[in-house]
Amino acid sequence: MNTETPLDQIQDSEVSAKELDEVLDANKDLYDKLNQIPEIEAIEAISLEEEITTEREDTANPFSELIDKINSFYRENELVRYASWALLLILLSTSALTYLEYEMFKDSVKSHTDEIGGTFIFGENEPNVLDTFFHTFWWSIVTFTTVGYGDVSPVTHLGKFLTIIIMLLNFGVVTLLGGAVASVLVAQRLTGDDTLDENKFDGHLVIAGWNKTVPSILNLIDSNKDSNSVVILVNETDKDIIQRSIAGYERLDITHIPENFTNESVLRKAFLDKAGAFMILPDSSGLLPHEEPDEDKTVLTCLTAKSISEACNVIAHVLDVENVSHLQRANANEIVIPDEHVPHLLAKHVTDPGVPQFFDDLILQEEDDKGLQEVKIPKTLNGQTHNKISAFFKFKYGWLLVGYAIRKAGFSLDEQMGESGSPLIRNMIKEQLDGAGINLTSDEHVIVEINPADDYKIDEKHSALVLR
Amino acid sequence: MNPTAEQIQKINHFSKVHIDMCAKIADVVQIQECEPKEQLLTEGDTGDTMVLVFQGQVEVSKDMMVKTASGFATSRKPIIRLETTDPRPSAAPETEPTVFVVEAPAFGIGEFSLVLDNAIRTAHVNATTPLKYGVLGLEDFTNIVKDNPEIGGSVYFEVAKSAVNNLATASGDISNLTQAFFFALTR
Repeated sequence: MNTETPLDQIQDSEVSAKELDEVLDANKDLYDKLNQIPEIEAIEAISLEEEITTEREDTANPFSELIDKINSFYRENELVRYASWALLLILLSTSALTYLEYEMFKDSVKSHTDEIGGTFIFGENEPNVLDTFFHTFWWSIVTFTTVGYGDVSPVTHLGKFLTIIIMLLNFGVVTLLGGAVASVLVAQRLTGDDTLDENKFDGHLVIAGWNKTVPSILNLIDSNKDSNSVVILVNETDKDIIQRSIAGYERLDITHIPENFTNESVLRKAFLDKAGAFMILPDSSGLLPHEEPDEDKTVLTCLTAKSISEACNVIAHVLDVENVSHLQRANANEIVIPDEHVPHLLAKHVTDPGVPQFFDDLILQEEDDKGLQEVKIPKTLNGQTHNKISAFFKFKYGWLLVGYAIRKAGFSLDEQMGESGSPLIRNMIKEQLDGAGINLTSDEHVIVEINPADDYKIDEKHSALVLR
Repeated sequence: MNPTAEQIQKINHFSKVHIDMCAKIADVVQIQECEPKEQLLTEGDTGDTMVLVFQGQVEVSKDMMVKTASGFATSRKPIIRLETTDPRPSAAPETEPTVFVVEAPAFGIGEFSLVLDNAIRTAHVNATTPLKYGVLGLEDFTNIVKDNPEIGGSVYFEVAKSAVNNLATASGDISNLTQAFFFALTR
């Protein structure tokens, strides 16, 4: 709160129990009033509706989902496409042959089963249509695969003629299938890994580099149920180590690309252009325990990422403070320096005992849905003041609102220039900057506003930082 | 052939000048004709004449240093086109305009020459249609003003107005360029 009273006087001032009650009572009225503001009720109704709609989406028809899955599988897999067509052709020709050469196949199946003294599966003593069909199908497959046992063969001229057609068709189908199998194998060999399913990756997290902090990072992301669950790890650490470390996350869907993350093609393979965030960590892949990770890679990767997608949200972790300026120049959105907070924490142990412990608890909180979190503010509350938003979170969820994360729109040169000066010069500036590959708008970035004044107004760029 | 007093009065700078005075100006101007592509004024030249365009279209352009694939190069960039409406040009322009076309009954170019000795031309001016124009010399104009001081007020006011407008645009340009410069530096 913005109070004029110095902090040490808060303790010194004498407050009687009666006064305290009065203060509490007065605030109770205020809080009751705040609780009755129509917006909150309206919002409750809205959020209920939202919950219902999300539930509905969750229980989408499983049958149509299955169809969708089969459909996409069919579209994306060349091999499956050829195989299914081949199967269809075989079935069609089998049906035609069963119909045309029924007597011949029926006699054949009868003589075969008589020889070994067995019975028919479908018909009892006499082979029926199904037995004959299966027998014809067997013959078809034997012929199609060029195995040709010769236990059955066409007798009539019509049968032989049809078989000739089938054998010729078979030539094409077998060649196509063989080609498809080969091309799939070659494609896998070329990409080094199976190609990732593009549809799955949108707004996902890409983590470049591997060190001992990664499992903890994944753990925290795993426990926050609102975050995107799709993660791609890009590093050259031994596959076994990665597999062991990433097993056992409930929610996360983790993919590992075992390649050099400074390569543009590798980053593109991780669909960086669609990623929600890109984390670059000091990479200790293939290093001995006493070796320092090469931080130039971090800077280089940041530059590459920004050249792939200017809008990419890059979070870089550096060990050496000297690299901060390089990363800033490379346009990293957020830069995390591990030891940055240490002097503050040490000093606070002396000046304000309890504060560092509080931070530890707050940040190291691993329990689900506890600690400090960023939550979205309902859209209908845009334009409301801080005290109302604060009351909303307190009464609806019991959370303490401590501040706001504000997405500041990037600086736009175009907007800034407006209509001033001559259009010639404006257009020339735009053309030349464009030609030099300089984007006319800078990136969005996040700033925080902690415990603002009561009448502080909220807009759609704000999201709440709450203590749960 | 001299233009008529009415033709002179159609030009913005002389619109507030009495018709009798316009006749005096018309007396010292000769109507000339030129073909498309002919250059009337050259950027960087000095001159003490104002060009009065009675019929036709002209293109105003500037030499600019631009970055191309093979390094820096000077290229002529069109800024604006001016076209008379009374009468309209006798033929359609030879090349389609890539810039804004400003229309006026008739117009004058290089008006700063009416106040400055050896004013520097700030842009190229080329005809884009067959053109009927006249040239008003500083000395002739100064003599007319000396004999008829009342002309000066309204003409010099128009010249001052366009000078002030140019200044405002220029300061806008400077601030845009400064911003673009800093913007490019942070990238």
